[in-house]
Amino acid sequence: MNPIRPVALLAAAGFLLASLSTPLLKAAQPTRADAEKDPVLKAMLEELDRNMSQLQLKGFEKPFFIQYRIEDVDNYEIKAAFGASEGVQHAHMRLARITVRVGDYTADSSGGRSDGAIELAPLGDDPISLRSALWQATDRAYKSALATYAQKQAALKEVQTPPQADDFSHEKPVIALEEPLRLKLDEATWVERVAKASGIYRTDATVKATQSDVQYCSAEFHARMTTTWLVNSEGTIVRKPATEYEEVFGAGTQAADGMKIDRSYATVGVTLKDLDSPEIFEKQAATVIASLADLRTAPLVEEEYHGPVLFSSDASADTLRSLVAAGVTATRPKLGTEARTNGPFASSYHARVLPEFMDVVDDPGLKNYDGEGLVGAYDVDDEGVPAQAVKVITSGKLENYLIGREPVRDFPQSNGHGRAGFTGPPRPAIGVMKVTAQNGLSDDELNRKLEDMAKDRGLKSVYYVATMGPDLTPRLLYRVSPDGKRELVRGADLDDLDQRALRSSVEAAGKDLWVANYFGEVPQTVLAPALLLDDITIRRANEKNNKLPFYPPPE
Amino acid sequence: MRRSCLKPYKRAALAVLALAIAFPAAAEAQQSSSVLMDAMTTELQRAFTSLGRQGAGKQEPDKLLPPYFLSYSVSDASMVAIRAQFGAVVDSSANHVRVVDVQVRLGNATLDNTHGKHRSSAVNSLQLPLGDDREALARSLWLATNTGYGNALDNYLRVKTEAEVRAKEEDTSPDFSHEAPQVYLGKPAPPVVVNRAAWEERVRALSRIFREFPDVYQNAVMLTAQNETDYYASSEGSRVVTPHLQARLVVMAATRADDGMDLFRDQTFEAETVDGLPTQEQMASAIRALGKSLEALRKAPVTEPFDGPAILSGRAAAVFFHEVLGHRLEGQRQRGDEEGQTFTKDLGKDVLPTFLSVADDPTQTTFGKTWLSGSYAYDDEGEKAQRVELIRDGVLKAFLMSRLPIASFAASNGHGRAETGRMPNGRQGNLIVTSTKSVPETELRQQLIEEAKKQGKAYGLYFEDISSGFAVTTRSSPQAFQVIPLVVWRVYVDGRPDELVRGVSIVGTPLAALKRIVVTGDQSEVFNGECGAESGTVPVSAVAPAMLVSEIETQRQPQGTARPPILPIPGAPTQKEAQ
Repeated sequence: MNPIRPVALLAAAGFLLASLSTPLLKAAQPTRADAEKDPVLKAMLEELDRNMSQLQLKGFEKPFFIQYRIEDVDNYEIKAAFGASEGVQHAHMRLARITVRVGDYTADSSGGRSDGAIELAPLGDDPISLRSALWQATDRAYKSALATYAQKQAALKEVQTPPQADDFSHEKPVIALEEPLRLKLDEATWVERVAKASGIYRTDATVKATQSDVQYCSAEFHARMTTTWLVNSEGTIVRKPATEYEEVFGAGTQAADGMKIDRSYATVGVTLKDLDSPEIFEKQAATVIASLADLRTAPLVEEEYHGPVLFSSDASADTLRSLVAAGVTATRPKLGTEARTNGPFASSYHARVLPEFMDVVDDPGLKNYDGEGLVGAYDVDDEGVPAQAVKVITSGKLENYLIGREPVRDFPQSNGHGRAGFTGPPRPAIGVMKVTAQNGLSDDELNRKLEDMAKDRGLKSVYYVATMGPDLTPRLLYRVSPDGKRELVRGADLDDLDQRALRSSVEAAGKDLWVANYFGEVPQTVLAPALLLDDITIRRANEKNNKLPFYPPPE
Repeated sequence: MRRSCLKPYKRAALAVLALAIAFPAAAEAQQSSSVLMDAMTTELQRAFTSLGRQGAGKQEPDKLLPPYFLSYSVSDASMVAIRAQFGAVVDSSANHVRVVDVQVRLGNATLDNTHGKHRSSAVNSLQLPLGDDREALARSLWLATNTGYGNALDNYLRVKTEAEVRAKEEDTSPDFSHEAPQVYLGKPAPPVVVNRAAWEERVRALSRIFREFPDVYQNAVMLTAQNETDYYASSEGSRVVTPHLQARLVVMAATRADDGMDLFRDQTFEAETVDGLPTQEQMASAIRALGKSLEALRKAPVTEPFDGPAILSGRAAAVFFHEVLGHRLEGQRQRGDEEGQTFTKDLGKDVLPTFLSVADDPTQTTFGKTWLSGSYAYDDEGEKAQRVELIRDGVLKAFLMSRLPIASFAASNGHGRAETGRMPNGRQGNLIVTSTKSVPETELRQQLIEEAKKQGKAYGLYFEDISSGFAVTTRSSPQAFQVIPLVVWRVYVDGRPDELVRGVSIVGTPLAALKRIVVTGDQSEVFNGECGAESGTVPVSAVAPAMLVSEIETQRQPQGTARPPILPIPGAPTQKEAQ
């Protein structure tokens, strides 16, 4: 019910550097023998070997590639509303995904809807039950791979244009064994912290006067620890842990005309220490409540506006993630076409997609920035390929795609960006996407530039977007007069905010980067500067305004 | 659309992957009835007297629509769930959740916002805080009621429009029955107590037994123990607090014959608490029997088309009556254009042989020594549970009634049931079939043989176990009110040993078989399970003796073509590889 979204982390500078900067200690190159000391890996390898050597349906091909991935997921969700706990949800389970490919690297069985099989895996170390789960799913995955392979071979005969790249890349096997972590959580403390935060609307002296206007007020804490074990028939063996934490606050109200007003705040990090202290979090929550009151009484945005808009680095991070991150990944195009990949940048290789003064690098190896842990960082991807820093956009031109083990034209190898949600197939995705501007400006300079643009064009006002909500809708939007005075407005939609605007409408960018950590199954980080766009449309949203509450809330 | 089934467990295999399993907020807990109940009644009263009345939302005076009925139904449930497969635990979790279902009715009892297809829209659910924070509870109830009222308003306006444009309905009964308020403040259920470590070990050990049966390719053993307290308050003045405790251990196992036919068995054990479940040894031996039965079924010959006499075991007859008869006697199925209305016009008529009677009695908590999982004291509309005589001496007397009236019955008989979040409907509780024409089982078998001889058949059939259509048809759409035979034997007239067959399916409507019951056994069996339908999943029981049916037509069931696993299961004896 409550629209809560992962929002950018507050830049709490100087916040607990020490625990984050410890480099991961890596032993000398580990071997398969080292891996087999882990009972889970041992069982996986044993079943993998048995299936590679024996799995064959009479008259059909054997698999040429098998991969087992088991995710041990320990997940907590602690929720509260109106100042009281709604309870703790804790799930600990192991999810196995089995991939079987028949055919060969050039043309194989991949790409069907039934790609692979999934199964619950046992929680302990018992080898027979671990292997049984894998055995069961391998059998299913193999049979479905045979069926898909036959269909694909038939489909290939129907098209004149051959595939533009191989189906599967050759990669060097990797053995990487990081020690698993244990999720240690003081559950009772978090139950209390979350409950307290969700009651801010009625306990905080600065905002409780408006408490009867608050329609919902909730807080949630998420903690997730994942250990991934991955083995494949090429000899890759990986064990890697990951953690992410998030505390979210959400509240909503309606303006007098019925317009729905939602706000949220989140703090996200790799360790608990990355999160806000309770004091800071509660202060942020109070700020959110206060902003509801401001928004309720804020004037409606004008009906239509075309002109300069300044996006804060926070708002830019959401914008760039939405418009750039998905576009710079390379996925196999439709069979029979000459396309390189899919999406908005499918044909943009070597073409300009951002202004010449901007660069984008995706570097999953970047674990901290400005003292903050980055949730999108990793060493090895979910296909067992080491992560590489990829210069995606250089001086505005798209020079590389992010890619996993399914090649596209001109990109025959993975660059370590094959990432997977729980039980999902790996797909290329960003890890830590860093967007920078050459000669970036300070916030003051950007503001001045915005005001100058207003004056130059004789505009009564221009706009500043402080934060974004879902679907690139502004949540905190200010009308800025040429003399720099800001006024909060409500009820706006942004129009023309698309890839074309990024290519040709960015007038200037900031020099300081916002750290936006996105909690999720495929955690991502975007580091982004503020952006000043020359020509953006702002319109009144004209959404359905529901009735105000039919009766007042209890005293 | 319509789903029905008697299933031994909630089908949750992949739902588990949604990471929705929860953990207890410790043992703080369920004794907090008084604050919760107070908050419910206070807030309900405030809502009932404020909504749609002058001064509240400053609406246009001609549009004011106060509710004529408002109820809060809160489920406060703590649960422990442990699941093992292939001999290891895959999930062990616990949770404590409180949810309110708010029901708002606008208009009047004759025509309200729940009319016809709008019925399900009258319930709005919201999770509630767990503790005794009155302010947070009241605020959550307000939020849920406000949303519920908005939905009710929207639906009521549509109901009114539809009523004006459509032809007269066949059944012009009102939408809500008049009932006297109930007040019963039972003792809240204690927090569920399960020794997690000990039960994890027990569940694991039970699953491990399947290693003795390498051809059983899949198995799952699931323990769930749930202690729930239901709090109910209505604007009519009802206030009901009832506890419901239930522990259940479900065993499922599957194999596949060489020709691709999937074979499935399950077994459940139920009691009020885990301590009441059978001993480990008893459950272990039941699992061994299940494993043996599946291995035997794999190798059993496929059935031939057959039209002749058959016996349903007590367990099979219980499932059969629940699915084939019980669901068709639900009150709401007698009303509405989309319902089959099989029995609507049969009141007072013979629907079964005269020696059979059927009652549904939620007030009966045990049958012999067996606990009945479909028992309850008050239904989900706050009505007192009643024993209802549905069929007496073969004659149809009543339907299972919620507060939705039908042409023949104006009032509830305490069978309005629903899963949390759903609108209650007439549902079964403990369906009990009794017979005045019974013989010992050996005699029943002899009569089967004689009947087969008389019909010139080489054998009759013995249905040892059947399942609802829904519980096993995972590969295709649910079969409403159908049953699927799981274990069927040929009983030869020439004295040959009984022969197990597989792939039996009943031709046509199984209803026809009900009138051909000739005689019953003298021992009743209990089937405890969960039943899913429009108003969600509710625990039920069915009790029946074995029955001889003079004629039942069967054919070979459509089967899958997938092969059994290519490699043997890990840890299997190597003889299979040597074959």
